[in-house]
Amino acid sequence: MIGILGWISFIIFFLLFTFLGFYGAKWRRGDLSKLHEWALAGRRLGAFLAWFLIGADVYTAYTFVAVPSGMFASGALYFYAVPYVATTFMVAMITMPRLWQWSREKGYVTAADMVEDRFKSKLLAGLVAITGIVAELPYIALQIVGMQAVLGVMLLGITSNVKLVSDIALTVSFIILAAFTFTSGLRGATLGAVLKDILIFISVISLIIIIPLKFGGFSSAFTEAQSFASALSAKHITWLSTGITYLKPLPALEAGYTTLWIGSTFALFLYPHSINGSLSASGKKQLAISDAFLPIYGIGLALLALLGLLAYSDKAAMSLLSKFPLSSMGIYSIPALAVSSLPDWFAGVVLLGIFVGGLVPAAIMAIAQANLLTRNIIKPFKPEIKPETETRISKWASVIFKFIALGFVFIVPATYAIQLQLLGGIIILQTLPPVFLGLVTNKLNKYALMAGLISGIASGIYLVEVANKFGPLSTSLYHLGGYLIWIGILALAINLAVTIIFSLPKIIKK
Amino acid sequence: MQENAKRDGVFYKIFATILLIIPWIAYLWITTYDKAQPTLFGITFFYWYQTAWLVISSILYAIAAYLIYRGEKQ
Repeated sequence: MIGILGWISFIIFFLLFTFLGFYGAKWRRGDLSKLHEWALAGRRLGAFLAWFLIGADVYTAYTFVAVPSGMFASGALYFYAVPYVATTFMVAMITMPRLWQWSREKGYVTAADMVEDRFKSKLLAGLVAITGIVAELPYIALQIVGMQAVLGVMLLGITSNVKLVSDIALTVSFIILAAFTFTSGLRGATLGAVLKDILIFISVISLIIIIPLKFGGFSSAFTEAQSFASALSAKHITWLSTGITYLKPLPALEAGYTTLWIGSTFALFLYPHSINGSLSASGKKQLAISDAFLPIYGIGLALLALLGLLAYSDKAAMSLLSKFPLSSMGIYSIPALAVSSLPDWFAGVVLLGIFVGGLVPAAIMAIAQANLLTRNIIKPFKPEIKPETETRISKWASVIFKFIALGFVFIVPATYAIQLQLLGGIIILQTLPPVFLGLVTNKLNKYALMAGLISGIASGIYLVEVANKFGPLSTSLYHLGGYLIWIGILALAINLAVTIIFSLPKIIKK
Repeated sequence: MQENAKRDGVFYKIFATILLIIPWIAYLWITTYDKAQPTLFGITFFYWYQTAWLVISSILYAIAAYLIYRGEKQ
C-alpha cells in the first residue's frame, strides 16, 4: 500500500541499480574470463570500497528482516546482533589479512583452496566447500524473504493476489540480477553495494529520527509493546518473552545471549561470501583498516533493531501489520514503518534500499558458492580444465544457485526460511577448525578434521531437533544445566574435541 | 639497533592485542549492562550502552590496525 510517487521512485532507483550492475563490467576493466577478475574484482578494492563490500555482507535481509523481526516478536534477546558485529570484525582483522596474503602468493580464490594446500587433502577441502555451499543457501533464501516483505507491503490493497504478483516481480528481479552478475561479477555487486548502502543509511537515520518525534519516542513504544504482549498472553500466546526494555536478567537467558553473539562472531567470516569479499581487497593493510571501521556500520544495525520495537508506537504501522498473520508480522515491521511514517516518494526509496539490500548480498553469496563448486568440487575430478572454462562454469553456477534459492523460497513458507537460516549458522561454524586453525597450524590430522566436521554438523542438527522437540524449528538454544546455550557452540565443542583427540598422535610425534 | 626495532615490534603487537580484546571484555560482562537505567533519549541503558561500544570498538581496532601495519604499504 504505497502511492504512485512511491512506485515511481522505487522503479527509478531500481533502474539506476541495474545500470550500475552492468556498468561494473566496464569499471576498472579487467579480463573477466579470469576467475579472480570476475569473482574477486581483480583484488583491487581499496580500504573504502572493501568497507562497502564487506559491509554489504553484514547489512543484508538478516539486518532488515530477521533482527527487527526477532526484536518485534521475542524482544531484547535479538540485540545480540550488536555485540556480534562489534567483535566479528576483530576476528576478521586477525584472520583475513593472513588468508589474503597466502591467497595472493598461492592463487587461492576460496578458503577451501587454502585448506587443501595446508592439509594436503582434496577430500577435506571438498567437505569444507560442500558445507559452505549448503550453509549459504538458506542465507540467500533469507534475502529473498526480505525482498518478499517489501513487495508484500507495497502490493497490499493493490492486487488481490499478492503472492502471484510478488513471485513474478521477484523472478524478474532475479533474472536481471543473474544477468549482471554473469557479465560483471563482483564489480557489479560492489557498485550495487555502494548505492544500496547510501540509500540504507539515509533511510535508517531518517526513520530513527522521524518515528520517535512523531509518536512520543521510546518510552511510549515500550509501553505499547508491553500492552500488546499482555493482550496476547491473555490468549496464552508467548510474546516478547525475552524482555522489552532490557534482557530479562536471568542467568539462563544471559548465557543464551552471550553464546549467540560469540558463535555468530566466529561464524560470519567462515561464510564463503565474507571470505570472498575479504580476498577482493587490494592489500592486507587496506583490509585490516576497513575491518577496523566496520563496527561503525553496526550502528545502523542497532538502530534497525530498535525500530523493530518502535513499530509498536506507530498506530498506522500496527494496523498495517495486523493484516498479516501473527507468525510473520515481524518481517514486515520495517517496510510497514517506512510506508506509514514517510512521504510516498521517500518510502519508495527506503523500500528499494531494503529490496536491493537483499539482492546485492544474494549476488555475492551466489558468486562465492559458484567459486567453491568449480574450484573445490569439480576441479579435483577434472584437473585439466582451463582457467577460462573454470570461469565459465563459475558464471553459470552462480546463476543456477540463485534460482535454486528462489525456488526454495517459493516452496518453503517465509517463517521456515528464517528458521533454516539458524541452521546455516550452526553448520558453517563447524568449518572453524580446518579454516581458522588451519591459518595457525598444519599439525592437525586431515582425517581428524573430517571426523570433527562431520560430528559437529551431525550433533548440531540433532541438538536443534531435540531443542525443538522434533517439530517446527523455533529456537537454536539448548537447555544445559540451567543455562541456555546456542547449539552452534555446543556442536563446535564436540567438533574441536574430536579434531584434537584424533590429531594427538600427529601433534605428539612432531 | 635492529634488536631495538624487534623489541618495539613485539611491544606494539602486545599492545595491539590488548586493544583488540577490550571490546570482548565489555560485552562479555553482561551483568554490567543488562539493566534499564540510566536512559538516553528514552532509550534504556541495555541498548544505548552496547551501541556506544560499537564506536569505541572501532576506535580501538583502528589504533590496533595502525600499530600492526605500521610502515607497511599493503
